[in-house]
Amino acid sequence: MTDAALSVTQSVVEQFAERYLNTLGCDIDKQDGRWSVIVPEGAETDIASGQLTLVCSTDPDEVGDEKALHPESPFFHALLEEASERSPTGRVSVTAADTEILLPSWIVQSEVSLEDAEFIPYYDRTALVALFKLSVETVSEYQTELLRAVAVDTRSDEILPELSDTLLSRTLPGQEPIQCGPTQTGPDAAKQLVKHIRATVVEDIQPKIDEVHEAASRSADAELEEYRRLQQQRIEELAETRTSLVNRIDELSESIEESDSRDCRTEALKERRELKAELEEVASKLESHRNRREQGFPEKQREIRERHALEVVATPVTLTEIQYERGEVDFTLANQTVTRTLTVGYGSGVGVTETIECERCGAPLSEANPVRLAERAIRCESCDTPYSIR
Amino acid sequence: MGDYDLVGVEVTHEDNDELFDSLRRSDGDEHLQTLQAVRLQAGTPDSELRSLKQLDEDSVKMLEHQVDAAYRALFEMDGKALLADEVGLGKTIEVGMILKEMHFRETDDSVLILTPAQLAKQWQAELLEKFGLEFVCNYDDEFDGFDAHDYIIASIDTAKSERHRATVLNHDWDVLVLDEAHYVKNEETERYDLIDQISYDYAFFLTATPIQNELTDLYNIVSLLRPGLFGTRDVFHHYFVDSDRETLVNHEELQERLNKVMIRNRRAETDIDFTDRTIDTPTFQPTPEERELYEAVSDYVKGAYSEDQGQKLVLMLLQKEVVSSPAALKQTIEKRLHERSELTHADELESILELIDRIDTVTKQERLLDIVEEARENVEMGRVIVFTQFRATQRELLDRLATEGYTVHSFHGGHSSEEKEQIVANFEEEGGVLVSTDAMNEGRNLQFCNIMVNYDLPWNPMKVEQRIGRIHRIGQKREIYIFNMALEDTIEEYVLERLYNKIDLFQQTVGQLSSILTRLEDTGTSFEDEIFERLANADSEIDLENDFDEMAVDLEEQRALAEKLEEFNSSVFQGFGLGEGND
Repeated sequence: MTDAALSVTQSVVEQFAERYLNTLGCDIDKQDGRWSVIVPEGAETDIASGQLTLVCSTDPDEVGDEKALHPESPFFHALLEEASERSPTGRVSVTAADTEILLPSWIVQSEVSLEDAEFIPYYDRTALVALFKLSVETVSEYQTELLRAVAVDTRSDEILPELSDTLLSRTLPGQEPIQCGPTQTGPDAAKQLVKHIRATVVEDIQPKIDEVHEAASRSADAELEEYRRLQQQRIEELAETRTSLVNRIDELSESIEESDSRDCRTEALKERRELKAELEEVASKLESHRNRREQGFPEKQREIRERHALEVVATPVTLTEIQYERGEVDFTLANQTVTRTLTVGYGSGVGVTETIECERCGAPLSEANPVRLAERAIRCESCDTPYSIR
Repeated sequence: MGDYDLVGVEVTHEDNDELFDSLRRSDGDEHLQTLQAVRLQAGTPDSELRSLKQLDEDSVKMLEHQVDAAYRALFEMDGKALLADEVGLGKTIEVGMILKEMHFRETDDSVLILTPAQLAKQWQAELLEKFGLEFVCNYDDEFDGFDAHDYIIASIDTAKSERHRATVLNHDWDVLVLDEAHYVKNEETERYDLIDQISYDYAFFLTATPIQNELTDLYNIVSLLRPGLFGTRDVFHHYFVDSDRETLVNHEELQERLNKVMIRNRRAETDIDFTDRTIDTPTFQPTPEERELYEAVSDYVKGAYSEDQGQKLVLMLLQKEVVSSPAALKQTIEKRLHERSELTHADELESILELIDRIDTVTKQERLLDIVEEARENVEMGRVIVFTQFRATQRELLDRLATEGYTVHSFHGGHSSEEKEQIVANFEEEGGVLVSTDAMNEGRNLQFCNIMVNYDLPWNPMKVEQRIGRIHRIGQKREIYIFNMALEDTIEEYVLERLYNKIDLFQQTVGQLSSILTRLEDTGTSFEDEIFERLANADSEIDLENDFDEMAVDLEEQRALAEKLEEFNSSVFQGFGLGEGND
C-alpha cells in the first residue's frame, strides 16, 4: 500500500495553482514570479471575480498588499481546501498504450536479461482506488495523520497494490493531466468494496500505530509512576504522623498515671482522647492508602490508561474508479546461453496477476527467490534442478 | 517492546456518506485536482499547527511566542498545560490557536471552557470573531445545560453549582480550558474539587499569576494538572521552598519539572510593543436646560427606585441615557409611557419629556464637532471612531455629522457579518467618522484608526477596555488618542474621575483589567450594580462623593494587589527559562 502524501515544494505549489486556476476558467499572465490572474464572473470558486495578483514569494516586502503563493501561504491553502472538496469521485482509464509494462520483482532481481515484453490485452476490468485519511491520536503525541491509497478489483475483490501506485504516479501535479470522467460504480457497491479493504489499510499502518502505542504507553506509565511515588510519599508521611501520635499518646498515658493534679489529668485525658481520634483517622487513611497500593491503584491506572489510549480513525476521502486491461504478457528472457519466452497473466497498471512457481520445488518466484534460466527450462534461484518450459 | 503496560487502541472506521453520495452526482471532471489537493494537504508535516494557515490575518495577528506556546501545549505536554504568560501576551489567543487546531483535526468532540463570570461572554466573542469557533455560553438564552451542547463556555461557579455539577462531572470532555486558574489554588474549595473530578483528555489552564499568596498555590495548581509531579506538599516544600524567604529554590530541578507542564512567556522576551496612549477627558458645562433635565431624571430614578426596586434595569437605563443624549432618553420614556398605561409617576415622565423638548443645543454634540474637525485637519483621512451605547444617540450623531459635511459610517448589532465587514472596509477606504455601538466587539480590527471618542461611558470597565482594544492592539503603529466626553457634575464625571482614573483604566496594559475585575467579582461585586446602588441610595451630594471614594479605594486595593502579584510572580520565576523549549 502506498503513502499518498505529496511533498509541498514551491514548484508543485505553482503547478497545482496554475492548473486549478485554469480549471476555474482564469486567465493567467506570469511575469517574474508575479501572476496577474483574471477570475471570470460566475466562476465556481470562493475567489472573488476580477483582477488578482499572486506573488510567488515568502518575502512580505515583495508580496506587499498582494496575495502570496508559496507552500505556507493562506491563499494556497484556501485553494487546496476548495479543490479537495470539489470532486472527490471520478473515473480514469489505464491502458497499455499509456503505461509501461511493469516487470515483476522476480525478473528485476534476477540475473537474466529481458529481451522483450509484449502485452496482449483481452478484456477491460474495473478497480476502485480509495484514498484513506488515517489519524492516530493520543494525548502525549497528539495526532499523526497519514494518507494511504488502496486499489481493489470491483469484481474479484482482489487488492491491487501496483494499481494504486500507478494512479498516484500518473496524477502528479507536474504531469500531463489524465482524463477524468463520471463513475459507474453505485454508492452501495462502493461501500461494500471500501468495507472490504479498510481493515487492510489499518494493517498497513500497524508499524506506525505500534510506534505511537509504545510512546503513549511509556507516557502513561510515567504518569502512573509519578502517582505511585506520590502515594508512597503520602503513606510514609502518614506512617510518620501515626508514629508520632502513638508516641504522644503513650507519653500522655504515662503522665495521666503519674499525675497528682486532677486538673492536669483531666486536661491530659482530653488531649489523649483527641489524639486517639486523630490517630484513628490517620490509621484508617494509612490503611486505605496501603490497600490501594497493594491493589496497584486500579482506578487511577484505568483513568490514566483511558486518557492515554490511542484512537485510530480511518476515513475514505476520495474514490477513483479505474478502468484497466487484463490479458497476458510475453516476457522474452535470456542469459548467456539460452533465450526463453514466458507467458503470464497481466493487467495494465497492475502488473503480473498470477503467481509463478518453480514446479520442481514448488517455491513461488519472488523478489527473494528470483527466476533463473537453464537449458530448456526455468528454475528458481534456490532450486538447481532444471524445469521444462512449456 | 519495553517492559511497560500498553494502553488501549480503539479503531474507528468512518463511513463518509457524503463521499459515497457524490458517486451519484459527480461528473468527475475535476477529480484530478481533488486528488492532488488531498495529497498536498497530507504533505504538510504532522507536527505543525495546520489550521493557522486558514486564519484570517485581519482578524487575529499571531505572534511567534503564541504559536510556540500553542504548539508545545498540544504536542509536548501530554495534553496538559499551564499557560502562565505574563499579563498582556495573549494567553487567550494561544488557547484559541490550540482549539482551532483541534477543531481542524477533528479531535475536539466536546470542549468545556470555564472562566470567571465577567469574562465568559468575552471569551465567546473572541473565539468566534478571531477563530470562527462557535461556543454556547451559559448566559445565552439557548443554553440548555451542560449535557445539551458540545462546545460550552461557562462561569466556573455555574458549573460547580448544585444544579449543574453532576452533569458537568458525568460528561467525558475532550478538552477542558480553565481561565484564571489561580482561582482554584485552594484545595479546600468546591472549585478545586470540581476541577479535580472533571474527566477530560486535554486540559489547558491559564493564569498570569500562578502564585497568589504563597508558593503552595503553585503546587496546588500544578498538582491538579499533574498529580505527583512535585510529590506531596511536604516534599515540595522540603525540596523547592526556602520557607524563611518564601522563595523557590533548587531552580534547575524545579524548572525541569515545571517545563513538563508550564509555559511562561515574559513581555521582555517578546517583540510586543504597544504604542503610547494619550487620554483626554474634557468635561463640559451643560446648558441650564441640560442641567435641569439631568436633575429631573436623577430625582425620578431615585424616587422610583426607593419605591420599586424591581424597576432597577430600566431606571439604570434612564440614568445612563440622560448623559448620552436627549434623543435616547426620549425614546425610552415614550416607549415606557406607551407600554405601561398604569405607570407610577407617569406625570413626572411627561414633564421630563417636556424638559427634553426644551433642549436646543446638545453640548456634547457641539464639542464632538470640535474633535472631529480637528481630526479632519490633522489626521490621515480624518478617521475617528465614536462609541456610544445607544442606537438613538448613534442616529442623532450620524445625522448631525452628515449635515455638517462629514463622511459617516454606522456600525451596530443589527448588521449581518458581511455588512459589518463592508462597513469597516468602507471606513478604512473612505475615512471620516465611524459611529459605533458596543456591538463592535472583539475581533474587529480597526488599527488603521488611532482616534477614539467615548461619547458616553459604559459603567462596566471591561466594555471600555474592549472599545480601546479595537484600535490599541498589536500592529497599531501610531500613538493613540482617546477622548472621554462627560458633562460636569454628572454620573459620568464621577465614574470617570473617581473610579476609572483611580485604576488608571485608560492606561492599563491589555489584559490587566480582567485580573482586577475578576478579583472584585470574587468578592461578589458587580460593577454596574454598585455604581447604580450608590447613586440611587445616596442622600446627599457629599454622601455620593464618599460612596464613590469608598468604591475607588476598593478598586485601588484590587489594582495594587494585582500589580503586586504580577511583580511577585515575576520575581519568583526570575531565572527560570520557562519561555524556552526544553530541548
